[in-house]
Amino acid sequence: MLIVIIAFFVLLVIGMPVAFAIGISGALFFIQYPELPFTIPVQVTVSQTQNFSLLAIPLFIMAGNFLNHSGITEQLLKLASVLTGRLKGGLAQVSLALSALMGGVSGSAIADAAMQSRMLGEPMMKRGFSSGFTAGILSFGSVLTPLIPPGIGMILYGSIGQVSIGRMFAAGIIPALMLWLALAIAVWITAHMRGYQPERQTRPSLGELGGALRAGFWAMLFPVMLLFGLRAGVFTPSEIGAFAVIYAVFVGALIYRRLRTRNFIDALEGSLGDIGAVMFLIAVSAILTYGIVLERVPETLANWIIGLTDDISVIMVMIAVGVVVAGLVIDATVLIIMLTPIFLPLIRSLDGDPVHFGVVFILAATIGNFTPPIGAAMFAVCSVLKTRVSDYTRESVPFIIAVVAVTILLVFVPQAALWLPNMFFG
Amino acid sequence: MRKIYQGFLRIEAVLAGVFLLLMVVMMFTGGVARLMRMPLNWTIDIATWSFAWSVFLCADIAWRKDLLMSVDIVAERFAPPVQRALTFVNYILIAGFLIYLAYSGIHLSWVSRARPFQGIPWASYSWVTLSLPVGAMIMLVTTWLKFKAFLAGPSAPAEL
Amino acid sequence: QAQDTYTLRFNHVLGPSEPFHEGFLAWAEAVSERTGGGLTIEVFPSAQLGVEEDIIEQIRQGANIGQNTDAARLGTYVPQIAVVNAPYFVDSNEEAFALADSPSMIAWQQQLADEHGLKVVCFDWVQGDRHFFTNSEVRTPDDLAGLRIRTPPAPIWQESIRALGAAPTAMNFGDVYPGLQQMAIDGAELVYPNITAGNLYEVLDYAIETAHIKLVNFQVVSSQWFNGLPEDYQTALVEECRVAGQETSAVMAEAAQAAKQTLIDEGMTIIDDLDLAPFREAGMAAYEALGLTEARAQVYAEIGKD
Ligand code: NA
Ligand code: NA
Repeated sequence: MLIVIIAFFVLLVIGMPVAFAIGISGALFFIQYPELPFTIPVQVTVSQTQNFSLLAIPLFIMAGNFLNHSGITEQLLKLASVLTGRLKGGLAQVSLALSALMGGVSGSAIADAAMQSRMLGEPMMKRGFSSGFTAGILSFGSVLTPLIPPGIGMILYGSIGQVSIGRMFAAGIIPALMLWLALAIAVWITAHMRGYQPERQTRPSLGELGGALRAGFWAMLFPVMLLFGLRAGVFTPSEIGAFAVIYAVFVGALIYRRLRTRNFIDALEGSLGDIGAVMFLIAVSAILTYGIVLERVPETLANWIIGLTDDISVIMVMIAVGVVVAGLVIDATVLIIMLTPIFLPLIRSLDGDPVHFGVVFILAATIGNFTPPIGAAMFAVCSVLKTRVSDYTRESVPFIIAVVAVTILLVFVPQAALWLPNMFFG
Repeated sequence: MRKIYQGFLRIEAVLAGVFLLLMVVMMFTGGVARLMRMPLNWTIDIATWSFAWSVFLCADIAWRKDLLMSVDIVAERFAPPVQRALTFVNYILIAGFLIYLAYSGIHLSWVSRARPFQGIPWASYSWVTLSLPVGAMIMLVTTWLKFKAFLAGPSAPAEL
Repeated sequence: QAQDTYTLRFNHVLGPSEPFHEGFLAWAEAVSERTGGGLTIEVFPSAQLGVEEDIIEQIRQGANIGQNTDAARLGTYVPQIAVVNAPYFVDSNEEAFALADSPSMIAWQQQLADEHGLKVVCFDWVQGDRHFFTNSEVRTPDDLAGLRIRTPPAPIWQESIRALGAAPTAMNFGDVYPGLQQMAIDGAELVYPNITAGNLYEVLDYAIETAHIKLVNFQVVSSQWFNGLPEDYQTALVEECRVAGQETSAVMAEAAQAAKQTLIDEGMTIIDDLDLAPFREAGMAAYEALGLTEARAQVYAEIGKD
C-alpha cells in the first residue's frame, strides 16, 4: 500500500488529472496481489455507478444548471440583494444561508456543493468576488450540510454503530449553527479586509421589497418545497434531485418563460462536463479504497493511536486529523461506512460518548472532502467554477480556520453536541 | 475524417444527455408511483443503468474539455522543458491505464455475463459493466488527439 | 516439507456488532487452530470488500474470497436452490440443518460448483424468522394489500412478498430508515435483530410475527480455490463452518428474543397471536409463480416432511 500512496503523490505532483492519478496508483495495488482477479478495478469502478446514494450527485448537478437557465436563480438573488444588499459581502452571506438551508437535501455534501456552485458561482463572480473566494465559501458552506437532519452520514453512522439516529439528528443542530456563525464571521472579516462594497447604499422601499417578493415567489418556493419534500415528506434524496430538475423546467418554461429549447440544451450540455468531471473521480476512487480496506490500513491506524495515549480528547483529535487526511480522496459517506466499525468501539472502550464522537467524526470526514490540496468535493466545486486549486487554497484559509476552530471546540466541549439530544431524549 | 469525428461527438453528447434525462424521468416517476401506492421497481433499474452509461460518456466529454481537475501547485513551478516532459509521461501513463480498463472491462463483461442485473433473469449485468470499457476506448481516442496536438507544439490547437 | 499457507478473505454485509460476525470470527479461529495456522480467514464486516454481487463474481473468477449469501442470490445460477428462500419452506433450525443431507440439495450445490465456480462451504447459518414490521396493524394477508414493503432487490424475494399480499419495494437496507421516516415505504420484512441493529424501532410501530421466511445463509467460496486446498484443510473448513453456523443459529434465536423485548420496551406493538394458516396458504402461490413446486416436493420427500 505504501507504494500505492507514494505513486499517487508522485502522479499528482507531475500534474496528472486526479481521477487518473487515483486510478493508476490504485491499480498498482493489484500487481502486488496477483491472486486477486485483475478485473476488480473495473468491477468496483462500475459498482460506484450502481450506488443509490451516489445517484443523487448527477441529478443535483443538473438541477443547478436548470435552475440557472430557468431564471429561478436570478429571481432568488434579486430578492437576496434587496434584503441584504447593504451588507458588505452580502451575496457571500446569502450563499452561506442558502447552503445552510438547502444543505442535507441531496444527502451528499459533494452534490450540494456542485449544485450551489452552478447556481451561485457566476452571480458571485459577476459581483466582483474572486473565483477562489467564491469556490471557498460555497465549499465550506456545504461542510455543515451533513449535520443538518436528516443527513445520510448520521443515518449511516447510527445504523452501523448502533447509536440512536434521533439523538444524532438532534446533536447535529447546535454544531451546525456554530459552524454557520463561524463562517459568517469569516466572510464578514474578509469582506471588510478586501473592502467588498455593499451592492446598494439605500434601504429598500416597501414597494421594491413587495415587487421582489412577488417576482421571486416561485423561486423562493423552490427551497421550501425541497425542504418540505424531504423533511415532512415522501421523497428520497435522489428523487428530490429529479423533482428539482422537473420543477426548474416547469417554472422556467411556463411561468418565467425563460427556458426555451436553446437554453434547455445549454443546461443539459453544461451538465455533461460537470457530471463527467465529478463522477469519474468518485467512481475510480473505489480502486484505491479497495486496497486500503484489504490491507486493513484503518485498523492499523487505530491500534497505533491507542498505543500513544489514552486521553479521549487527544484520541478524538487524532482520529479527526486522520479522517481529514483520508478525506483527501475518499468520499465522506464511504469513510463513515468504512471507519465507524473501527473507531467507534475504540471510543466506547474509553467511555467516550458515541453521539459526541459521531458529530466530530462526521464533521471531520466532510471537512476532508473540501480541504486542499485534494478533496473530492473541492474538485467538484473547482471544476464547476473553473477555479485553480492554488487560488482555492489561498482564498479558503479563513474558512478552514473557522471550521477547524469549531471542530476543536466541539471535541473539548461535548455539551455543544449533547445538550439538545439530552434535553429531547433524557 | 474530421467530419466523421464531429458526428461521433454529437452522438456521444446526445446519448449522454438522453441517459441523464432518463434518470430524471425514472426517479421522478418512481417517487410519484410509490406515493400513489403503486411501487414500480423497474424505474430504479433503468435509472441506475443509465447512470453507469452517462458517467463514462460524460467522463470523456470532461476529459476532452479539460474539466478533469489536477493539482497545479507543484507542476507549474517546474521549468517549461520539464513540464513538457512530464506532460508526455502523463499521456503515456493515462493511455496505458485506459487500455487496461478497456481490456479488463471487456474481459469482465464476457466472463460474468451470467450475472443478472438487479436479479432480473433476462438482463445481464454485463450491459452495465460494458459502459466502462466503452468509455475507456472513447477516452483513449481523446487522449490520442490531445497527444497529437501536444506533439505538434504549444501553438497548434487540438482537433477536438 | 514446508507447508503452504492459505488465506481466505471473508466478506459479509452485516455489522460488526451482529452475532453473525462473532460467528464468522469463531469459525476463523477454529479453522486456524485446526490447521495450525495453515489456513487463516480474515473477516470483513459491513460489506467492506464490496457489494455482495461483486464479491460473488470475484469468487467465480477464482479469488481467495468468501461471502455470506442467501439462497435467492444463488438461485440466479441454479434456480432450484432458491426454494430454501421461499415462504414457509422449513419450520425449525433442525429442519434447516437437515437440508445438508438432502441428495437434491447436494446435487444442486455440485452444479453450482461445476458450472459456476461457486463452492458452498456450508449453510447451517439460520438468521431467523422474517416478519413484517409496519406502521399499521396487520392480522390477515388482506391487511397487507397495498402496503409498500421493503424487500431485498431480488425478484425471487419480491415474488414471495407479493404472494403474501403486499407490494414489494426494492431498496437497500441502508435506505430503510430514511424510507420509513419519509413514508416512502410502509414497512419492511426483516428478522428481529435487524430492527434493533438499524434503530428501526424509532420509525416503526408494529411487529407482525408472520415468520414467512426462515432465512438460511450460505457461505460460499471459489470452487477453484477450494479444490486447491489440501484435503484436511477442506474438511476443517467445512466441518468448522457447520459447527460455528449451528452455534450461531442458536445465538440468533436468543438474539431475536432479546431484540423482541427491546422493541416492546421501545413501545412497539408486537402481534404474536396471528392465525398463520391464511399466510401459509397465500405463500404457496410463490412456489407456483417461481416454478419451485417440484423442487419443494423433491426436498420434502427426501427429508421426510409433508
Ligand atoms: Na455550499
Ligand atoms: Na481534503
